[in-house]
Amino acid sequence: MRTKLSEIKWHLMLTAIALILIIPIIFAISNSFKTLSDAYSNILNIIPSNPTLNNYLQVFSQLPFWRITLNTFLISAAVTVFKTVTSFLAAYAFVYFVFKGKNIIYFILISTIFIPFTVTMIPNYLTISSLGLSDSLLGVILPQLSDAIGIFLLRQSMRSIPRSLVEAVYLENVSHIRIMKDIILPLARPAVISTGIIFFINSWNEYVWPVLILKSQDHYTLSLALQTYVSQESGTEFTVVMAVSVMAMLPPLILYFIFQKYIIDTFTLSGLKG
Amino acid sequence: MLITKKQERNKRNGLLGYLLILPSFLAFAVFMFWPLLRTIYLSFFEWNMIKPYKKFVGFANYVEMFQNPQTYKIMGNTMVYILILLVLNFIAPYVLSFVLSIIIKKGHNIYKRIFFLPSVISLVVGSMLYLWILNPVSGPIAVIAKMLGQTLPVWSKSEGLVLVVLSLITSWKVFGYNFIVTLAGVSGVSKEAVEAARLDNVPMWRIFMDIVFPMSSATGIYVFIITIVQGLQYVFTPIKVITQGGPNFASSNMIYNSYQEAFTYFRTGSSSAFSIVTMVLFTILLVLEFKFVEKGVYYEN
Repeated sequence: MRTKLSEIKWHLMLTAIALILIIPIIFAISNSFKTLSDAYSNILNIIPSNPTLNNYLQVFSQLPFWRITLNTFLISAAVTVFKTVTSFLAAYAFVYFVFKGKNIIYFILISTIFIPFTVTMIPNYLTISSLGLSDSLLGVILPQLSDAIGIFLLRQSMRSIPRSLVEAVYLENVSHIRIMKDIILPLARPAVISTGIIFFINSWNEYVWPVLILKSQDHYTLSLALQTYVSQESGTEFTVVMAVSVMAMLPPLILYFIFQKYIIDTFTLSGLKG
Repeated sequence: MLITKKQERNKRNGLLGYLLILPSFLAFAVFMFWPLLRTIYLSFFEWNMIKPYKKFVGFANYVEMFQNPQTYKIMGNTMVYILILLVLNFIAPYVLSFVLSIIIKKGHNIYKRIFFLPSVISLVVGSMLYLWILNPVSGPIAVIAKMLGQTLPVWSKSEGLVLVVLSLITSWKVFGYNFIVTLAGVSGVSKEAVEAARLDNVPMWRIFMDIVFPMSSATGIYVFIITIVQGLQYVFTPIKVITQGGPNFASSNMIYNSYQEAFTYFRTGSSSAFSIVTMVLFTILLVLEFKFVEKGVYYEN
């Protein structure tokens, strides 16, 4: 009986934490459909008293919103494709090849996870400027062609594929391209998909690097567009800010709801050493 | 016959191995290793990114950095950020993982899924949401406080409090990831040892400290370090969006300060020196981790 009671207490506590984490999202969605006066006078109501799409329409009139969404998508898609391909190839080499310095190279690449971005930002900014790529999508994409965490995650998943299987096929003189395509890719698919989704979501949410590179509104990503609303903090556009927030978080949330299990399993893997 | 064939293939194998790594290696060389060297180089010069000449100043940027009282304020802030982030994103997930896997044993998946939800949302969005949720005049928390006869402080302008709020916003995003990783580590701890201790009526906190914590320490150390290294970089976003390091540098940390030196004041030298010192501190952490690992922390996998 005593244990039961303490179990309930813990469940209450966990539920409270869950609520604290979820409420900001509900708050944003609910207020994005309120009129401004409704939002100010009934801020605690979850259901808008006279729901409106006006805030969303206003966003489109204030910003080149389609363009900004397209920019965000193009950057995220390009970064995802590049990172996934380069990480996959490197992970394959680290698992199935024998060559000099392999472990040292792997160690050096993985250590970069712990290098703070401030160490590379000035030189990278100068490089991108000297290539004439500042204020361009390409300038945002270029420094993100590979990813240490991606290499780590894909290497982990490839290591769980039985080696004997790959070696047997290899001795049959099957080319590496075919081994990758016909054996590794199908078997590592969950990890490849979720690593790709993680890349996409992270790139979609990225702020630090785009804020340095992108200057004109036509080249903005959603994070930068959203940030321009801070200065209106004291102003009247609160419900519009919520509408932009909802639109910025919607794609990652949808991806998360579809691929929840994959994503959580892969992230769990990232904490287990190999 | 088969063996020579294998040996012959292995020789080519080596070259192809390098070739497969090459794309990643090039990307890292151009945008990680080369910049790292350049930042070290820049830390010995006075420059503003525009002037054609860089003026060599030796260690002056480092000396100035350690003579500037503001540096110590920023390092102090950084320590406060680290402490709050560790409590919320290292200790709390550890305790909750223990509770979930040893005491109540139910609901892993549902809690995991909900806790992880904010981790996929950008911190710019998070900052904007909390800016309004915690708005001291018209936000929902302020309204509730008013009903109780209280008023909220203007947290974004209050030294001390601003660090707490920005850490909370960051934790909103970081907590879920740390939780699922810690839970995986704690779930890997041998159930027999725990059950035996429970039958002997060992108090729960002793089971946690003496059995679960040591036996999941590999994951624990990873989460500890990632909380500091990633956490301090994540805090950058709310700082930049909400306070720009203010009021009077009260919310700046080492990461934000490097950024501000470089892109607000255009002092590449002192920015670079600050970045290098930050990196050295992170490296010391990592070396400590490997030391611990060598001493034989318990690997659950």
